[in-house]
Amino acid sequence: MKTLAVVVTTSPYSHLTITALTYVEAALVAGINVIGVFFYQDGVMHANEDISIASDEYQAIAHWQRLQQEYQLPLHVCITAAEKRGIACDSIDNEKINQIFTVSGLGELVELTTKASRLVQF
Amino acid sequence: MTSTNQITTPDYPKETGLAIINSKAPFSSNHGKDALDIALIFGSFEQKVSLFFQGDGVYQLIADQDGSLVSIKDYLKTFSAFEFYDIEDIYVCQQSLVNRQLEEVFHIDGVQVQTSSEFSAALNAHQHVLRF
Repeated sequence: MKTLAVVVTTSPYSHLTITALTYVEAALVAGINVIGVFFYQDGVMHANEDISIASDEYQAIAHWQRLQQEYQLPLHVCITAAEKRGIACDSIDNEKINQIFTVSGLGELVELTTKASRLVQF
Repeated sequence: MTSTNQITTPDYPKETGLAIINSKAPFSSNHGKDALDIALIFGSFEQKVSLFFQGDGVYQLIADQDGSLVSIKDYLKTFSAFEFYDIEDIYVCQQSLVNRQLEEVFHIDGVQVQTSSEFSAALNAHQHVLRF
């Protein structure tokens, strides 16, 4: 079975993220096994609970949430990159990470890469 | 051109491992360090990883640079640890060096200077590619 892993390095307000979302959704609709999306560099900003994008603009985070719920798509966020951008999960009181994301490290990227037939970066 | 609508899968050779393309200069952004972190993690998990330097990324290999002069932690020093992570395949694009009038003098050993066609052939031998 062909498997796909995706790396997102663009911010939630980047137009390239729309391309990533469109691509991932097309793969899911086509029945391709998307084993996970790994958010790295500015991509980790998707996991910031406090991000608020004007309602007439593309709601990237809401779309990731929809895909995560409809397809049980694993969304991994690199914690080192997240903490560097003020997105912490060090205490329950200071929980900034959106619950749709799994807190991961680069080891998860190794795991996804070795399992995937194809890795695509946005 | 054939008129058939059949989708054929090209017969690629067996590809393995991860290729990381470094295309950014070392001290203007965090891309080089972000790429290095991935390379070292793959190395420590004993996964095959090769490094490609192209465009402004070739500046990451040039000797006698000091990031501390611009208050940046000099992650380039960590390149000397590649052998301990079994990262042996390090390729640099010759044309990118020529375009920038850079000598083939690097701060680590074992860098392979390649023509554009050799560079792309080496890249093609990998299953996965990440670009920073």
